[in-house]
Amino acid sequence: MILDIKERLGKTKYDIDKSYAHITVDDRICEKCPHHFCVMACPAQCYTMQDGKLNFQYEDCVECGTCSVACDQGSVKWNYPKAGKGVIYKYG
Amino acid sequence: MPEYDAIVVGAGNAGSAAAITMASKGLSVLLVDRSDPPGAKNLSGGVLWGNDLSQILPKWQSEAPLERFIQDKKIGFLTEKSSIVIDFKTEIFKENKVGYTVLRSKFDPWMAKKAREAGATVIPGITVESLAMKDGNIVGVVESGDIITSNVVILAEGINPRLAIEAGLREPLQDWEVSVGVKEIIKLSPQKIEDRFNLSSTSGMASEYILGNLQELNVGAFFYTNKDSISLGIVSPMEQLRENGVTHTYDIIEQFKEHPSIAPLIDGGTVAEYGAHMIPEGGLDMVPKIFGNGYMIVGDAAGFGFSNGLVLQGMNYAFLSGILAGETAIEAKARNDYSSNVLAMYREKLENSYVLKDLKTFKDIRKVTNNRNMYTTYPKMLEGILLEMLWERGQPKKKVRDILGSCAADLKMSKLKTATDFYYIYRRM
Repeated sequence: MILDIKERLGKTKYDIDKSYAHITVDDRICEKCPHHFCVMACPAQCYTMQDGKLNFQYEDCVECGTCSVACDQGSVKWNYPKAGKGVIYKYG
Repeated sequence: MPEYDAIVVGAGNAGSAAAITMASKGLSVLLVDRSDPPGAKNLSGGVLWGNDLSQILPKWQSEAPLERFIQDKKIGFLTEKSSIVIDFKTEIFKENKVGYTVLRSKFDPWMAKKAREAGATVIPGITVESLAMKDGNIVGVVESGDIITSNVVILAEGINPRLAIEAGLREPLQDWEVSVGVKEIIKLSPQKIEDRFNLSSTSGMASEYILGNLQELNVGAFFYTNKDSISLGIVSPMEQLRENGVTHTYDIIEQFKEHPSIAPLIDGGTVAEYGAHMIPEGGLDMVPKIFGNGYMIVGDAAGFGFSNGLVLQGMNYAFLSGILAGETAIEAKARNDYSSNVLAMYREKLENSYVLKDLKTFKDIRKVTNNRNMYTTYPKMLEGILLEMLWERGQPKKKVRDILGSCAADLKMSKLKTATDFYYIYRRM
C-alpha cells in the first residue's frame, strides 16, 4: 500500500502542455538559496537536488501553489497553466 | 455598455454559488473556469456542509452527485502505538442530512451545470490572464489578449489567487496563511466500506485526527468514506514544515497510512489518485479587502476557511460567501452602482453571517494549531492516562489527579505549565 511518490503521481491524470512551463525558477537565485525548502514542501517532487544543484520539472505539478509560498527568495514565478492543461483530477 | 453584468472567475463552490444566485435573478453572468470540465483542479479535504445550498438549490440533496451522508463523525489523536478517538454516531445526522462526502470532479460540474440552467454563460478551459483595470476600477478580465467587460468581477479563483495578487488586491501568501494538504483516493468496494465502517449503502464516516506520531511536526489528518473509495490525507501548516525543514510533504501521508490503526482500514484497497492543495489557515488575519470598485472576492480566495486541527471547514463558507456576493451584485444592478460604496454591502452581509462571525470567534486558533504540545505531549499524556486507567498490570491503582501529575512529569511538563497551557487552549477553542 505504501507507494513511492513517483508511483503515486503515476495514478494521477495530466494533459501536459509541452510548449509552456507554467512555473519557472531562476537558477542563479536557487544556486545561492540557503535552504531549498521547496524540495521538502513540494508534494509532487518537482524540486529535487542533483549533485548539489536544484533541479526543477513542471510536468508532475499538481498546481497546488505550495512552492509559490515556500520560495522566499523570489526565484519561483508561478502562473496557472493555459486552456485546461495540467492536472486533471478524476476524483478530486 | 459592458458585455456582462458579472464575470465570475472560477467555477468552484463559491463561484458557481455566486453565478447561480445572480443568473436566477436575471443578471447576465459569465462563469469561467481554468479547467475543463470545471472542478478537475479541485480537491475536497473536508465534509461538504450544504445548509446554505438550500437557498439556491433546494433539491441539492436528491440531485447533486454526493458520495455518502455523514452519520458518523470521529475526532481523535494518534500516537505511535495508539489511537484515542471519540466516535460520534447519531440518528440526528441521519434525520438532518446536511454533511456529505463529495468528490469535486463530480460535484463541481453539477454546480456549473446548475449555473448554466439558471442562465449563466459557462465557459470551462479558460485561464484568465489578468484583470482589466480602468481609472482604478476593475472593468473586466483579459483572456488571450482580449478584454471581456463586466460591471463587476467576482474573484473565486481559490486559495492560490494569482489574479488578486497580480492586481495588487492582496499581498502574496505568507507561510502563516496556509497549510499544505496532501490527499489520496483509495479504491475499496462499497461492500468492504459498509462492512468495515458499519455503514448502510448511503451513510458515511468522517474522521479527523491530530497526528501525535510524527516528531517535531504538527500535522492533522482526515479519513472519509466515499461510495466506493476512501479519501484520506494530511494537512500541515507551512510554518511548521519550514521550521521542520527535513520532512517531505509526500512522505507524511504515507506515515499516516502506515499507522497501525489506519492501515487495516485501507487493507486491500488500491491508490487511484494522488493530489495536493493548499488550505487557508490564517483566519481573520489573512482576509484581504474583499470588495472594491467593480470587484468582490469570495471563498478560499478571500481566506474563508476554518481549521482547529480537529474540524476542517471551507466549502460551506464558499457557498455562503458566493451567495452573499451574488445578492450584493443584484442590489448593485438595481441601483446601477457597482462602486465600492454599494459593494461594501457584501462585507456587511458577511459580518452578519457565520462566515466572519466564525473567523472572529476563532481569531486566535492558530496559537492552538501551532502549539507543539497539542501534537506531541498531549496525545502521549492522554495515552499514559488511559493506560493507567484502563489497563490492569498487577499495580496499585492511582487517582486520576495523580495519574495526570505523573504523566505530565514523565513528559517533562510541570503541573502548572500543563494547567496554564490547557487553559490557554480551552480559551481559544
